[in-house]
Amino acid sequence: MSRLVKKCPSLCVDLPLDNTDVCNKLRLLRQLLASCYGPTGKLKLVHNNIGGHVVTTSTSSVLLAAISSSQPLVSLITTSILNHVSRFSDCGLFAATLCLDLIEQAKQSGLRGNVCIRLNRHFLGVCVSYLQRGDCCCKVKLDFCSSHNLIALARSVISSKPACMLTGQETLHISKLAVQAFLLTLPCDKPGTVSLGQTVTISVEGHSVLNSAVFPGLLVDVTGVLCIDKSENLSSHPLRTLLFSASLAGDIPELGDGIIEVSSGVDTDAQILDQLLDLGKQAVEDDVKLFVCQKVIHPVLQQYLRSQGVIVIERLGITHMEPFILLTGAHPVATLHTALPAKAYGKVRDLSIRQFGSKTMLHLLGPGESAICTMVLCHRNETMLSELKVVCQKTEHVLRLTLREPYALFGGGCTETHLAAYVRHESTNGVTESAAALGCSQSEYILGMDRFCSSLESVAKSLEHNGGNSLIDLTHAHHWTLPADVMNRCVEDSLGFCGCGLVEGSSSKKWTYLNTKYAEFSPAALTTDSPVQPRVLDSFTAKLNALQVAVETANLALDVRYIIKDVN
Amino acid sequence: MLRSTVINPRQPVGLQELAALAAVAHSTLGPNKRYKFIQDDTSGESALVCSCFRILENLELTSAVGQLVYETVQAQQKVFNTGSGCLLFLAGAWGRAALECVHRGISVSRIISGMSDGFDLCADVLRKCSISTDGLGAVKSDSCTTTSRGLGLQMSKKPIMEDSRASHHLSVGHKTLNTGGHRKIKLSRHFCQPESKNVSTAPQPHQFFNVGHIAEGLSHGCVQAMNLVMEAVKLQSKTNQDLSCSTFDVTKVVTCVVPGLPEEHACVLPGCIVLLSDEQAAVAHHLKEQHLKVALINGDLSHAFRHLGFSRPAGVQHVSEQLALSSDKEEVWMVKVVALLLNLEANLILVSGLASEKVIQHCCGRRVLVVEKVKASILKAFADATAGVPVTYATQLTKHCVGTGVKVEIWRDLGGGSERKSSTAVNISTGGNSGLFTVILTSCIRGKLQALEDQFWACAYRLHHALKDRAVLPGAGATEMLCIRRLRQRAVSAYSTQESEAGGAADLDRGVVLHLMADGLIDYISTVMVNTGRVSKVRARTVVSQQLQERNGHVDIAARLSQLVLEGENEDSDLKSNEAPEMDVYDNLSVKQEAWRKALDLLFLVLQTDAEVITGVDLTTGAQGNLMLL
Repeated sequence: MSRLVKKCPSLCVDLPLDNTDVCNKLRLLRQLLASCYGPTGKLKLVHNNIGGHVVTTSTSSVLLAAISSSQPLVSLITTSILNHVSRFSDCGLFAATLCLDLIEQAKQSGLRGNVCIRLNRHFLGVCVSYLQRGDCCCKVKLDFCSSHNLIALARSVISSKPACMLTGQETLHISKLAVQAFLLTLPCDKPGTVSLGQTVTISVEGHSVLNSAVFPGLLVDVTGVLCIDKSENLSSHPLRTLLFSASLAGDIPELGDGIIEVSSGVDTDAQILDQLLDLGKQAVEDDVKLFVCQKVIHPVLQQYLRSQGVIVIERLGITHMEPFILLTGAHPVATLHTALPAKAYGKVRDLSIRQFGSKTMLHLLGPGESAICTMVLCHRNETMLSELKVVCQKTEHVLRLTLREPYALFGGGCTETHLAAYVRHESTNGVTESAAALGCSQSEYILGMDRFCSSLESVAKSLEHNGGNSLIDLTHAHHWTLPADVMNRCVEDSLGFCGCGLVEGSSSKKWTYLNTKYAEFSPAALTTDSPVQPRVLDSFTAKLNALQVAVETANLALDVRYIIKDVN
Repeated sequence: MLRSTVINPRQPVGLQELAALAAVAHSTLGPNKRYKFIQDDTSGESALVCSCFRILENLELTSAVGQLVYETVQAQQKVFNTGSGCLLFLAGAWGRAALECVHRGISVSRIISGMSDGFDLCADVLRKCSISTDGLGAVKSDSCTTTSRGLGLQMSKKPIMEDSRASHHLSVGHKTLNTGGHRKIKLSRHFCQPESKNVSTAPQPHQFFNVGHIAEGLSHGCVQAMNLVMEAVKLQSKTNQDLSCSTFDVTKVVTCVVPGLPEEHACVLPGCIVLLSDEQAAVAHHLKEQHLKVALINGDLSHAFRHLGFSRPAGVQHVSEQLALSSDKEEVWMVKVVALLLNLEANLILVSGLASEKVIQHCCGRRVLVVEKVKASILKAFADATAGVPVTYATQLTKHCVGTGVKVEIWRDLGGGSERKSSTAVNISTGGNSGLFTVILTSCIRGKLQALEDQFWACAYRLHHALKDRAVLPGAGATEMLCIRRLRQRAVSAYSTQESEAGGAADLDRGVVLHLMADGLIDYISTVMVNTGRVSKVRARTVVSQQLQERNGHVDIAARLSQLVLEGENEDSDLKSNEAPEMDVYDNLSVKQEAWRKALDLLFLVLQTDAEVITGVDLTTGAQGNLMLL
């Protein structure tokens, strides 16, 4: 007898942004994410209520992935940011902070929702078209003839994550490695469509960061596998290589939901093992010298292959599969039920053993140029190592983005303050026409502009976590920070360089605090022949997209009228 | 439903938690260790612990900081097997220093940069005051050197400081002795590079390497355990024909704990000793004085065992066409394996995993001895010594997989009560070429065995690392004293630059941080002294500060401190005069360096953390006061 359960009616919340609980949650999210921002950002311990491993991080991708909320608006924002991060790696915290700030500002301003949305979109357009202009004064063109700017870019990304616990020297070392790895994945002298190679990251715990290194080719962890005889002379000619993506463990693979009926007296295990050994025999006959499997290889097969002088590597892992295929040219064999096709075999030119602390690695070099490299990252403990690994992968992505658009933006909050000043300056000319075009009053237009600009500025302010003050200079509109304990009289002396390190403080300049009103001005470009290079750079592509994502997401959140929740 | 929660209080909470956790393990510092009972209120079980690592292991910490602490200590333990107490204490002490800085309004980034500088200073001191193990203890026989006691001299063997000013402050190498045993007295201010080089490059007529002396200095109160280690080292070096005992391979040493015997029965024996049941012992009796063939199994010895990564199919049904009495598969397998073994003439099977009871019994019936739970390193040692090849399945065994030349002896029948299963200790050896040694640890109190085993391994690893580093540090607080001195000097110079026009608030803060860091080390030394049980905290602090204030206080810090530590003993027995030869105390260089580094890393992580994200909170249990829900 079935019972009928009465369905609860859906829950409908009107104007969610007017709800204090929702606002509190958004404010909390902003505090949480903004406090992580920048090189002096605070770390968060992420752990499960019932215990287990603790993650220490200030990276948006790790943090947001761990956060789940019962509030749909919060989920909407986190999902949107995570999506940006998965595509561009960098500027997740920037996007999140800006987005949440825009929502908060919009609510405080009292502007009508649709006006606010239109204005935000308009000012976003102003920013984007300015950033894409050739004479934009807050970006630099990356020069691939010199590694200087690339290292500065990598370094800015790496040093913005304090949970890596790197000293200055270590940061530089890792930045150089990141650039080196990036350059190794660029194929040279290849006609036609160029496809980038891959960097494989291997982490080794318990060693100094300065022991980290980058190698061309692929390193495979073979710790504990005591099979490789160092005396064997293998590197004389290319080794024939065979790669399996199917498990060779000898079990019955992927039954799904189906059922196999086995008549008693039949030993399935032995039969599969026989099949495996047949494969092994064929491989030996075909002169395979390196036998690799993504998953487990049956010990009996391993023993057989080794006795025939074949090097066996099992549990290669999914992350190593593609680089291995690119390196050796092998086609992964996904079944054990056919004879091995000749074109499945790949080649390895050279093979050597490297030792990293307790880890033994097999270093494989491909027959031709393959643009595959391996980055071995060392750090003293697991927590810092896992953050370093995330950051290095992020850096690699950021460097790759420069190939699409070879520009970088000034970091350290300078782009934000500069953009704010530019928007203020541009918008004050022709308020009447713009307001009319957008269908709002002039005061609404000015209020909206003010809110938009102060959102940008408050992101720059979020970089400071030690109670210091944020300033803007009234010539170039760069961002400056003043430590908390500096007396008022020596402000000029304490301001060394601006956030990105391009402008030096001098008595001829004027500053104002970021939260104060200042008369609009046109931010001046720096003299182009200046020998000074910016020390902190942000990814152009990532930041541009982050800006768009932040404004669009904020607009979407402002546009939500009802939340309908199915509570069944 | 997974929900996440955010706690948001200010950072000091984490630091306070760290300091509180560290305080739990105070009693494990120093040579006189106190036992602690840890009781589980729910199950009523209790554990007797006496090391920092075991305390944390038994505490089951669930908080985020607690988990971080445990992970850090575990990492230290995994690599070094010692130094966890020092790590945790300093994390706590420096955590308190950081807390004080936060209260004084120093920014987190300045605390971190200040402490990093402090660590660099200390690391520099550690490097410079390390004593090469070559020739250490050579002067011991020289009766006239009792006052300088090995500490001061080797300072000069290291390349001495870059500038004379530094050496003036730092040098404990106040008196210099070269290794030949001649005495040279030098005032530190006259030290100069060429001379010290002369000393260091002076050809040594004979490589005197007194491993016993080093071991004694590294025993840190666990004299019994260290004696066992020494015995093992001597036996090992005899086998390796390395008379100088310049290395100690800990992977070739096994421990075997035997409850019920008094502690004096602890000893070291060549070979691998295992405890066997009566039934197995009977087989061993039969096999003794034979050259046996051995099979090595890397995994479990049972019919159902499958290698790692083998997944059992879920949807397999067995169908039989007739109602035949199905023969027991296990029986079939067992018969097959035993037949194979007998065919290969292998009478001994060493299994790294477990062997099923049935298999053991069946094998016993065929006079095949099965030994389970053999450590991987031991299995490897046997493989190397007998030319056997470890296999995963017994059915894989072939002629060339089987090793030869193993002997089994009954070491001792412990046959106590009938309830005990493993009652006979059997020695499995390979005729002296495997280099394996077993340390038998005994105690009448079963609960103490774990602690004794830990102590043994701590001592073994200390000696192992000392020989690997080829250097040790002056112990008994001497190294810490030098660090304190150095930190304070730097603090003072930071204060003075702050006063000059060039400096600013940053220098003042740096001075404060360094000073507080030095206080943390003072706390460390005085706690060690207090733990000896003969000095009060106040007295300990007074002694330390007296030492620090004396202008020429660097005469022989270690001497005074160890004297103080041993003072009580002298009071206890009037027979021991003050002239009695005192012990040199040493610490490990790499262990200390790494423990300090890890302590600071841990502290920095906690210091920079301002919030905790807790996932999977069940709301029905009621939210606590300071939690904020997202």
